Amino acid sequence: MTRWRLLRDDGVGAAEGLAVDEALMAGHARDAAPGQPALRLYTYRDHAALCGRHQHLHAEIDTEACARAGAEFNRRPTGGGAIVMGAGQLGVAVITQAPVEKHPKLLLEEFSNGIVHGLAKLGVHAEFAGKNDLKVDGRKIAGLGLYLDGAGGLLFHSSVLADLDVEFMLDVLATPASKLGQAGVDAVHQRITTVSRETGQAWDGERLREVVALGFAEALGVDLDDSDLTDSERDRAVALVEAKYSTDDWRFQRTPRSDATASAVLRTPLGRLRLYLSMQGDVIKSALFTGDLNAIPEELAEFESGLKWTRATVADVSALARRTLGDGTAVGIGTDEVVRVVLAAADDAVHRAVAAPEREGSCYFPEPNPETPTSESEGADR
Amino acid sequence: MTEEVDMSGRSIDGFTVRDTLAYDVERHMWVERRPDGRVRVGMDPLGVETAGTLAQLDFVTAGTAVARGEAFGTLEAEKFVGPLVSPVGGTIVAVNADAIEDPGVVEREPYDAGWMIEIEPSDVGADLAQLVCGADSITERFGQRVQEYRRDGVLAE
Repeated sequence: MTRWRLLRDDGVGAAEGLAVDEALMAGHARDAAPGQPALRLYTYRDHAALCGRHQHLHAEIDTEACARAGAEFNRRPTGGGAIVMGAGQLGVAVITQAPVEKHPKLLLEEFSNGIVHGLAKLGVHAEFAGKNDLKVDGRKIAGLGLYLDGAGGLLFHSSVLADLDVEFMLDVLATPASKLGQAGVDAVHQRITTVSRETGQAWDGERLREVVALGFAEALGVDLDDSDLTDSERDRAVALVEAKYSTDDWRFQRTPRSDATASAVLRTPLGRLRLYLSMQGDVIKSALFTGDLNAIPEELAEFESGLKWTRATVADVSALARRTLGDGTAVGIGTDEVVRVVLAAADDAVHRAVAAPEREGSCYFPEPNPETPTSESEGADR
Repeated sequence: MTEEVDMSGRSIDGFTVRDTLAYDVERHMWVERRPDGRVRVGMDPLGVETAGTLAQLDFVTAGTAVARGEAFGTLEAEKFVGPLVSPVGGTIVAVNADAIEDPGVVEREPYDAGWMIEIEPSDVGADLAQLVCGADSITERFGQRVQEYRRDGVLAE
């Protein structure tokens, strides 16, 4: 049976936590003898806010709120959105040589199976859903990411929500729900769950670790050997903290495509909904419907989830709307109107990005752009 | 290899290939020899389809030397952040700024406006010998890759 290293860590700092993962990758270059794969299960010191590889940190993380709370912030090598890590969340990292013959999509699913198997032992039945999430009954319980470096190393990352302080998360992350008060908290609870919530018991990352380790051993058919960093890995991690993860060049780097947000109103017979979109170029990175409804219809929730990573074009958004909303009966209006509102918000966001490419601070909840009204009826609401 | 590009290509199991190009089938890159001796490099439609929506592309700057098998840039797609690996060694002489600005062009026109870099190759003959060239080989190797992806669920049936 294949043997993997199992590394345990608790209370790591933001830069240190990320640097150790990257330091471990160095032993897995494609032109080197295959090293023993490593599974690192760790928790961050309360708290670390981590944005995705190509995000604009200031747009995703409220650094002033972090400073008030004593939270660190940094940038992951993996893609996706900003997250909060701390004692309540289990960090999962798999480091190995990237197999050329296996597509990244398969690797992402393969490694996430370790988490699925672990959670199943607690009666928590998660499944791979959406673009790169694990969900329980439609609610996200873990985010997934995969990073392949140029030398042939592979890093699978996941944040498993053993527990989550939603109010704190909304305080330090600049998400659309952050400024909605209790409505924002409710919106998050509708979309995210935790092991604590699913089991009715208090869980944290440290307690969850051995369950997830067992899940990996079973799902991937590997034996796990207790391990620690070698001296050279430790030295490499220290050097990476110094040269990369503690530098502003890394943390605040800007990428070629600007990101921006905008919102638009969708009027339905069920009530008035506001759609918040976060865009990177013309790709929708996150979407959130909030409004009069206690809970949005299942079909609309599926549409909202599907918007993530969809290119904001008539063809792509219309195809998603037809697939998830059908004829629009669930929300009481035609899918054409839903599509129109999405594209109007996206267009508004793109114009904002062009108008203010170097803006600083949170860009959520911008003032309406008078030059790009989404419709006559929505102008006053935006 | 002819200098005249086949603009239409042909379909292998739903994916367009051009017999005038050379392919790195495992890494989903194509190589085109240009009349001026340079080679143009881009991502093939199977790579585009299986990566999912391309959100970010970043290339090293023109003037950078790159070895065959080395990364000349990175991409962020739905499923992963990963390197763009050069199938040919040499000096990068041009990068497609339009693709950086709008990665969607790689999805829409992977062989044309969605090209990525141009290289002044150092040993193009040796590098091309490592790639898949010619209609029969492309049909066999590219088709095999598509079938593997369908079998493994990377592509929907």
